[in-house]
Amino acid sequence: MKITDAAVYPYPCGDTTVRRFALEAKALGFDSIVAMDTPAGSFDGVEVFSGIVIQDALVKDVINRLKRVRDTGTVVSVCARDNGFNRAVIGLKGIHVLRAIHAADKTAFDHVTAKMAADNGVAIDIDLSVLIAGRGAARQRAIHRFRDMLTFERRFEFPVTLSSHARSYLDLRAVREITGLCSLIGIDDTGVEKALGSIGRITAPPEPAVRVVS
Amino acid sequence: MSPRPPTLRENRRYILVRVEPAGTVVDQKELYYAIADAVTSLWGDAAGGVIMQAVVAAEEEYVMIRCLRGTERELAIALSTVTSWRDTRLALRILAASGTIESLRERIRKQKEQAPGDPSPEPEGRLSDKREVLVTHCNGQKVDVIEKGFKNAHRLFVTRSDLENS
Repeated sequence: MKITDAAVYPYPCGDTTVRRFALEAKALGFDSIVAMDTPAGSFDGVEVFSGIVIQDALVKDVINRLKRVRDTGTVVSVCARDNGFNRAVIGLKGIHVLRAIHAADKTAFDHVTAKMAADNGVAIDIDLSVLIAGRGAARQRAIHRFRDMLTFERRFEFPVTLSSHARSYLDLRAVREITGLCSLIGIDDTGVEKALGSIGRITAPPEPAVRVVS
Repeated sequence: MSPRPPTLRENRRYILVRVEPAGTVVDQKELYYAIADAVTSLWGDAAGGVIMQAVVAAEEEYVMIRCLRGTERELAIALSTVTSWRDTRLALRILAASGTIESLRERIRKQKEQAPGDPSPEPEGRLSDKREVLVTHCNGQKVDVIEKGFKNAHRLFVTRSDLENS
């Protein structure tokens, strides 16, 4: 199982190049990272997955973007909006992660969406940058939303990813620090380990439903 | 007031952190305020009063922070939420926790011995997008640069492989 940070933004989006991100991630205990708008590769033993984030788009636009990246191995993420949008995108084939649940409507993620995410193998992302850099009401609201989302996770068992959304290597956190931060929202050590390994599981090709024996 | 005998003193623990980016000049008092702000914001005044954090020593990029024994975990979580001081971006990387300052000093010595001794790269270089940069700091493969010129002198974090010598 690969320990993966599910979203970093290398240069030119941020101030750190993807190679430097890989070096720092290795030092902090990661095996792989998902780098947005960056070609996939492997640097210093750290695997870099290519990723895209689709935001402020209609479902139709999301489908068009999906067609362009299909079968390229890109980790496709969509930023959550209202409930109807979330249900629609979770049902699309090729979506891997639903992000920014904490910033969406209060009713954006319910038990139906949770069940759909579990059935379709779509991960729900926990944005650690809000816990790290947020202060006051914004952080309290995010903690509440993540805790609320995790009650559905315990019931329906959809995948959860953890991402630092780092634009600089200074925003990255070590696995041990992430475990501490996740304890704020009620995820234990096993849960953190499982969440950090989710990217490998959701991007793996699906096993065939029927296998011919003999 | 006479000092308390050792058996009546509260047990303390010391956490060793490294301040990044490299070359950041640490002001103990300012860093204390940044940490106190992070602790209070995350755990509140009541827990902050129990943790009793203090910056006891700063040696170059290494800083030792004191707390009450048993509150290391809370302090460590709060330290991971420190992102800046005086509008300067930084990160505190936790290296070790110990009951004595001396053992942390030993740890610092070991860290310094392990530091890679690669030769410095050329003082000037060029990124893949042809932007010319000046090298400000180098540690092994890791190179910190700033863009040439007086405008947009932002620090960029790259590796030796990212630099083409101009």
